[in-house]
Amino acid sequence: MFEWLENTSVAIWVGESLWAYPFMLSLHVVGLAIVVGILSMIDFKLLGGFKGIRVGSFLPLMKFAWIGFLINAVSGVFLFTSQASYFATSTTFLTKLACIFVGAILTKVMQGKLVEAEAAGTADDVSMKGLAIFSLLLWLVAIIAGRLTAYI
Amino acid sequence: MEAFAQSIEGGIVYTWVTSIFWLWPMMETLHFIGLSLLFGGLIVIDTRMAGFFRGVNIAATHKLLPWVFIGFGINLTTGVLFFFGDPMRYAVNWGFQVKMVLVVVAGLNALWFWVRLNKDMHSWEPNADTPGEAKVVAWISLIAWTGVLLFGRLIPYVGTG
Repeated sequence: MFEWLENTSVAIWVGESLWAYPFMLSLHVVGLAIVVGILSMIDFKLLGGFKGIRVGSFLPLMKFAWIGFLINAVSGVFLFTSQASYFATSTTFLTKLACIFVGAILTKVMQGKLVEAEAAGTADDVSMKGLAIFSLLLWLVAIIAGRLTAYI
Repeated sequence: MEAFAQSIEGGIVYTWVTSIFWLWPMMETLHFIGLSLLFGGLIVIDTRMAGFFRGVNIAATHKLLPWVFIGFGINLTTGVLFFFGDPMRYAVNWGFQVKMVLVVVAGLNALWFWVRLNKDMHSWEPNADTPGEAKVVAWISLIAWTGVLLFGRLIPYVGTG
């Protein structure tokens, strides 16, 4: 299946065009900065930081983080196609993917809890320190594994 | 810059960076973590200063600044070591050159904020729209740092002379 994917016209375009691969990589780092940047700031807030900013006021930014996620899902699929059979067997790459998968679900869960608490007016009292640490760890490992995929 | 690059090639730092095989990937990973902190803090600060996300108290966004500086510190340190580890490649690379110009633009823009707006900011309405000048500074910051990310990632793929 992965060999078939590598031979699709999209994969060949990404692999052979002079600009497609670097361009997708550039988009991928912008998306990474948006996702991990915003979510880590929200995690720091949930861990007790940034006095003076209401937890609930971060909710619209959390929506914005999903735009970064979309950018990286799309650019990531393009990058994946060009070397599908290599990525599919790389343990570090699969580790990265697992972290992102769990991270996305966790973000959705945290977002849901915060929306509920905000509606009830209790967002600032919500206790999610454990989830916040878990979230930070997942994105950290995703970055480490992602970078090491180029080396291992 | 090329003369400077030539002068450090073969030096102590160059030898150190290039002699430890896991140092380069580890520094790259740190560089990614640093950019996430830098950019993450600035997204919150600058989008609010551009007039978005008005539920966020504008003056309080500066509580995020320590993370921005930590991110910048990590990336300045690893960045300088990258340069020392492969000076001739970076010196002639236009992706790197554009990236450095954009870092300087972002720095001057931050200075502009500090000189002209920083004091006033505390008297702005915490959840209202922002002055035009603040919006300009915010957009320059967002565009410059996005450019830093884009051109930085292009460095391995563009003109190495």
